[in-house]
Amino acid sequence: MTPPTPSQATPLEVTDEDSAASAKPATLKGTESRSPGRLAWTRFKRDRTGVISAFVVIFFFVAGICAPLIAKVYGKDPYTTYGQNDPSLLNDFSYPAGPNGGMSGDFWFGIDPQLGRDVFTFLLYAIRNSLLISAATTLLVAFFGVVIGLTAGYLGGKTDYFVGRIIDILLAFPQTLFFIGFWPVMLTILVSPDEATPTWLIVVSLITVMTAFGWAPIARLLRGEVLALREREFVEAAKVTGASPARIIFKELLPNLWTPILIQATLALPAYVTIEAGLAFLGVGLSDPTPDWGVMVQNASKFYQGDITYMLFPGVTMVIFVVAFNLLGDSVRDALDPKAGR
Amino acid sequence: MSLSRRNFVIATSVAAGGSMVLSACSSGGGGGNSGKHAGTDKYTGSVTVGTKEDSTGPAPEIEGAKKGGNIIGIGPSDFSHLDPQRIYYAWNSTVANLYIRALTGYKIASDGSMKLVGDLATDTGTMADEGKTWTFTLKDGLKWDDGSELTVEDVRHGIERAFATFTTEGAMYVQSALVGSSDFRSKYKGPFSNKHLDSIVTDKAKKTITLKLKVARPDLNFTLAMHSYGAVPVGHDTKEKYDKDPVSAGPYKIAQHAIDKSMKLVRNPHWDPKTDAIRNAYPDSFTFQFGTEGLAAADRLIAQSGDDQYAVMAYSGVPAERLQKVLTDPELKKRTINGLLSGLYYYAINCKRITDPKVRQALNYAWPLEQIRRIYGGQSAGDYATSIISPDILGYDHQDVYGKAKKPQGDPEKAKALLKEAGKVGQKIVYTYPKGGNDAYEKTKVVIVNALKAAGFDPVVKAVDQGSYYDQVQQIDNNFDVMWFGWSPDWPTGYTVMQPLFDGATIANGSNNVSQLNVSWVNDAIKKNAVITDPKAAGAAWEELDKKIMTELAPIIPETFQRRFYLYGSKVGGALFDPLFSGFIMYKLHVKA
Repeated sequence: MTPPTPSQATPLEVTDEDSAASAKPATLKGTESRSPGRLAWTRFKRDRTGVISAFVVIFFFVAGICAPLIAKVYGKDPYTTYGQNDPSLLNDFSYPAGPNGGMSGDFWFGIDPQLGRDVFTFLLYAIRNSLLISAATTLLVAFFGVVIGLTAGYLGGKTDYFVGRIIDILLAFPQTLFFIGFWPVMLTILVSPDEATPTWLIVVSLITVMTAFGWAPIARLLRGEVLALREREFVEAAKVTGASPARIIFKELLPNLWTPILIQATLALPAYVTIEAGLAFLGVGLSDPTPDWGVMVQNASKFYQGDITYMLFPGVTMVIFVVAFNLLGDSVRDALDPKAGR
Repeated sequence: MSLSRRNFVIATSVAAGGSMVLSACSSGGGGGNSGKHAGTDKYTGSVTVGTKEDSTGPAPEIEGAKKGGNIIGIGPSDFSHLDPQRIYYAWNSTVANLYIRALTGYKIASDGSMKLVGDLATDTGTMADEGKTWTFTLKDGLKWDDGSELTVEDVRHGIERAFATFTTEGAMYVQSALVGSSDFRSKYKGPFSNKHLDSIVTDKAKKTITLKLKVARPDLNFTLAMHSYGAVPVGHDTKEKYDKDPVSAGPYKIAQHAIDKSMKLVRNPHWDPKTDAIRNAYPDSFTFQFGTEGLAAADRLIAQSGDDQYAVMAYSGVPAERLQKVLTDPELKKRTINGLLSGLYYYAINCKRITDPKVRQALNYAWPLEQIRRIYGGQSAGDYATSIISPDILGYDHQDVYGKAKKPQGDPEKAKALLKEAGKVGQKIVYTYPKGGNDAYEKTKVVIVNALKAAGFDPVVKAVDQGSYYDQVQQIDNNFDVMWFGWSPDWPTGYTVMQPLFDGATIANGSNNVSQLNVSWVNDAIKKNAVITDPKAAGAAWEELDKKIMTELAPIIPETFQRRFYLYGSKVGGALFDPLFSGFIMYKLHVKA
């Protein structure tokens, strides 16, 4: 459940190999020079795995964002218990009556056992909710990681020491156990005993807790980068001209760190998707009837012996998404940082 | 019959506990609706009173059964108590059957029919004074597992111990009848200060024990069959410590107990089968294994590798998720027993918070029984309950005040109309259920919320962790409106349902009157009906009270009388459904060659 420890990524640099490679077209087009970003983009486009993964990832995001629209066109929603309303859809044991998990023209991905909800829309909304939570977490993690890491690295001394120890503690913390133990307690404090726990509160608390534990790896990585950068001449120069620490951090150092940040973020997002699903599977986080990838896998795991179809859709889509996003992350790193690997 | 509250947390399951049987890939979907279920339609909980001949041992032999071997019982958790006076849960009673004996007991025939017979006593006792005096005579040759004689004093000790401060978990019927007050502990403190109750008279020479009750109890012979009133040897009573190492009077004694892991029972050489009309004892030993929840236990028995061929699902039934697999595979179905539970599953309505009977009636109309049962596993999972009193109970009369048999899916229009009449449209209903035990409740909450919304309620779901569920809903000042609950009668008369559930005098923290119903005419009727000596007249009176309570007060929403399936290994013989505690009758099992 711990996000992968970041691999060391070097700042964006134009390498000899690339300047050589781009020299030829450059001579054809004249003396037009290219920005490092343009170069990375060219490299990325050449990577077929990366491009395909990017399309898959975009497809998932579009499906998630457009879920209500698709559901409307398709004419079903994830909350109605179709199988309960029409008894012919479920058999005597409340398994889908039709073959392959009740797949049909009406229910493209079948219906779920016991309640008979539409699996297709449920999955769409599950993707939507899961991606929303993990995307928000990733953004927040990146933001806090960047701010804290940069500050600690640049200021050094006591601040650095203090932040470093906090990071140590956070990295050593058993987050999943903490979350399972602490989360129900927190909810009973926040929610009055005769009110239902609002879904937004679950979502917000999920994002908060995952962020609280997630910023440490990025912060540690960036701190190290900053330690190396801050001794460079351009930082010295800025200091001499009397720039404030904030200006040096955000205008001088940060632009040199976008590469590791971007790489970390693209690797973190699929990790958060699985963390969020894992928590839902363990019974904390989102729960039925709120659609969620983890909730679906958890439900399906009890029925796979009799209704494997129901397990297939959430399982396979999640594997595809996580693999595609990880491959995309790799490609982004290759494109931005051609010296590493290969 | 014994209260089996914990029994109601059916088949707990932790996801994906089973073996990864990939052959299951072939079964992508189910068949059509046959409109039939696979289980029994017979309620076997009703009891007749047996004669002296019926009470004389030994128990009839089971055909083909041979002595020897070890039977394994798989259960989700350890037995919470072993001290007879602290046993009330069905799971504890499953093992108690093997080493505890009381004055009376139930003799179960191979077709499941039951007779109340004398267990320690020669017969089911002699009643005098219209139920105020009961006399029992002990059999000859009764011995404890150390070879010492089991005397009438030991029987008396078992009853008097129930007054002690540390035996609060057991039943309370006999104690209150003996001193005539439900606050019996203030009148008598137990036998440990060498003071005996005046109301129990023993005669060691004639081997008789006479109970002189303050209140008439025409069904005391049934009450005394509860393990809570099992005999305890005066000389070996270690008080609180007795819970760890009880002395056996039955065919087996506890040889080994690793808490929360396993328990092994071996033969008690001093048990004489001639004194016991109830128990057979074929296996040389029983081993109970704890920590396996319903779904995992079912998967273990489906696979039945190695020693699991000798195993039975001792406590949890086959969960809803595996019913289709088990019941549609003839090989597996052959290895099941099933039966209708004597208990009622219901939803208690908190009458202190929902004060308007019209709202409670509306809830009854709105409740989606059909949808709930379909989640439990459809018709195989049980019958709709339409009344408080279950079919097992003497005098049952198919009442259906809210027309649930005709409209089990709920009647939102009627509920809405009633709500409007009461001026409570949009009434908030806080619904609670135990979380973590049975995943089916995660699904039933969805259909319940849908049904309540359709009927014009504002449902709020508040699940409580199963570990503290009963403690929380049994608090007087809880914040719940509708609470999932269940009740098994302690013996098959209306008294054991109505008194614990609806007697206003019992309301307290921890009381089973979860609805907190306290209406004087109900309290009076319970008192009046309890002393009717004619069983038929009593049955009719309880039935009438059931109807009146449901019509006028509607303090509960009856849900189902459940049918449960249990798997056993292919080397296990003599499998029979236990109508008392549900599960297997352990002392009738044997190992097949």
